Amino acid sequence: MRLWKHPKASLMESFDGPSSNAHAKEHSGHSSEKTLDELRNLLTGPQQQQLAQLQQRLDDPLLRGEELSRILPDAITLGTSRNDKIARAIQPTIEESIRTSVKKNTRAFADAIFPVLGPGIRKAIASTIMGMIQSLNQMLNYSFSFKGLQWRWKAFRSRRPFAEVVLLHSLVYRVEQLFLIHLETGLVLQHVTSSQITFQDPDMISGMLTAIQDFVRDSFETDKDTALDTLRYGGDQSIWIEQGPNMVLAAVIRGIPPLTLRNQYRELLDGIHLKFHSVLESFEGDVSPFEILKHQLEDGLKFQVKEAKTRISPLLWILLIIFLTLSVAWAFQSYHYHIRWENFRARLNAERGIVLTSVERKNGKHYISGLRDPSARDPLNLMKEARLDPSKFVFEWQFNYALDPESTLARAKTMLNPPPEVILKFLNGTLTAEGRSEHRWIADFRNRVLNVTGVNAYDDTHLLDTDLEKLTMARKLLERVTPFFPPGKSRIPEGMNEDLYEGLKVIRTIQHLQDLINIPVHIMIFGHADASGSKKFNLQLSHERAEYVLRFLMHNGVDPSHIKAIGMGVKASGKEGATQVDSILNRTVTFKTFL
Amino acid sequence: MIKKKVCMLGSFAVGKTSLVQRFVHSIFSQKYSTTVGVKIDKKTLSIREKTMDLILWDLHGKDEFQEIRMSYLRGASGCIYVVDGTRLKTLDVFRELRNKTRDYVGDVPFVVALNKWDLRREWEIGSDAMDDLEKEGAVIIKTSAKTGLCVEEVFQTLARLMVDN
Repeated sequence: MRLWKHPKASLMESFDGPSSNAHAKEHSGHSSEKTLDELRNLLTGPQQQQLAQLQQRLDDPLLRGEELSRILPDAITLGTSRNDKIARAIQPTIEESIRTSVKKNTRAFADAIFPVLGPGIRKAIASTIMGMIQSLNQMLNYSFSFKGLQWRWKAFRSRRPFAEVVLLHSLVYRVEQLFLIHLETGLVLQHVTSSQITFQDPDMISGMLTAIQDFVRDSFETDKDTALDTLRYGGDQSIWIEQGPNMVLAAVIRGIPPLTLRNQYRELLDGIHLKFHSVLESFEGDVSPFEILKHQLEDGLKFQVKEAKTRISPLLWILLIIFLTLSVAWAFQSYHYHIRWENFRARLNAERGIVLTSVERKNGKHYISGLRDPSARDPLNLMKEARLDPSKFVFEWQFNYALDPESTLARAKTMLNPPPEVILKFLNGTLTAEGRSEHRWIADFRNRVLNVTGVNAYDDTHLLDTDLEKLTMARKLLERVTPFFPPGKSRIPEGMNEDLYEGLKVIRTIQHLQDLINIPVHIMIFGHADASGSKKFNLQLSHERAEYVLRFLMHNGVDPSHIKAIGMGVKASGKEGATQVDSILNRTVTFKTFL
Repeated sequence: MIKKKVCMLGSFAVGKTSLVQRFVHSIFSQKYSTTVGVKIDKKTLSIREKTMDLILWDLHGKDEFQEIRMSYLRGASGCIYVVDGTRLKTLDVFRELRNKTRDYVGDVPFVVALNKWDLRREWEIGSDAMDDLEKEGAVIIKTSAKTGLCVEEVFQTLARLMVDN
């Protein structure tokens, strides 16, 4: 028989302890365990589900992130409204983030804050410049006027800075010190001063002021609320005293302030009373709460400067004119420099054999680079022509050969250096030389012309060799020279040998020219005789005459290596039955030349 | 920063001014004391690691020609009474001043400086009188304007009393 037990009883048993639980197990076994589970499900099922859900919310980072993102803005708003704990907590993180961001990308940060800082900086700079101009004008006005000199003397005597003396004389009034004094104790709660003034210990001054107030009140039996409100001294100096229920505001003033200022101080004091009412109630000598009033009181250090005459100092005018003149001169020079530079650039661009690849301006210098043919004009020369300073230019050229006809011709001219009478022309790859020249240049031209880049062929048919021309003429001249001999003689006596010397001169020329053109000129000296006498004798005589001339030439330093002397007898030039004149004409030597 | 108004009182010629002049910051001359009836000095000291400024109102000594202006006592946080040890009468003046002060500003901390200790052979104030004073709750410090004896102690003691008050 199966023992049935109320499920609750079974549950109770399960919590009763190990002994009763063991007893129950004994009787119900496995089925009761199952029943217990069912019962547990029935009773705590929903809670278990909720627990599981909660567990999941806690364990799942995505879910937590999503939930946190929903509540975080509200949480921050709530927290910030209560106190500054959140701000303090995230402050280091924000600072670090900003630091990292700036380190990583300065530009992004600069862009972000520029809209805020930019106008501020501009305004500050503008105001500083205006201030500088104004103070410069004021300084110049005062420095060189009679009044200014007086003030300088005063500053020197009183050992005060000149600026302070100027300021004092330019002021309608200035509040130099403000004391906020505790009425009962006379202690200074706050004290501010305008710059550049010397002052005594505020606590002691305040104490003495309070004592004097009491002294006046006691001595003249005024009523308690009546107080000394002004102390006047030294002509234009005074102390204004404004008294409130717990505090006194005392202003040390130089000059004559407007009466409205007193109302302002009244309002200021009332405001402070209102704000510090509770602090004053329990005041025990601690003045630190009043520290925050410093700026407010500093705003109360009013002053008014005499309206400066708008007259601008002549010195400022002069400075202005100098400045303007220099500016105009500078602008003029810059403009002209710019024009010269642009012209130079255009010229450089148009220059044959030069191709500009880049033109830059850095640190006040022009950096010019490009391709340049060796035959192109030197840019430095162009620069000098353009009246530009070469020290401001840096050239970087890559040399290359331009193959356009003009460049090729220019290159040929540079390389071949033709004499003035020679004209070089270049067309379709052929360099043509026309005109007249010595042989040496022509030989050089022929040797080197094909080395010029861009020249494929040459034509020198219209080029006249002047040395060759001279040689031809000399040869012709020599062949007309005929030294005459006396009848039957193979020597020419002194005084009759002009022709012989003429021949010598021409032969020397010929030999010089043959050296130049490097072609040997063969000279034949033919000896002749007239018809008188035997043939044999005449042949001998004609030979001796030719030999005589050769010896004469050799004697005068002529190289005989290409010269031959031949006796022709009477046959060659003599005629049978010749006249007297003919006979004379036959007693001679003649010259023939061969190349 | 703590500031306290302290009044220095005593009979005529007990040496109030001479006692402190070497120990305080002063800008006003003695004539203020005789004309206005008070001279303000300042003593800065450190008490329990805090700076305290004592604004000393050196009140003109009471004599037959001039009464102390009680209004000067207003707002005082402490008093230094100076008694001349060689003139017993000055002790009576102290008591008189003490009572007046109490009436005007209440029970504020105070220190009695028994001055002229360097002339102790001529002293008229005996130990009995001093005991009586102590019984009245007075803190007594023997001082000497001539040697500077215990002057700093006067300020320090009063400052401590004021802080504790």
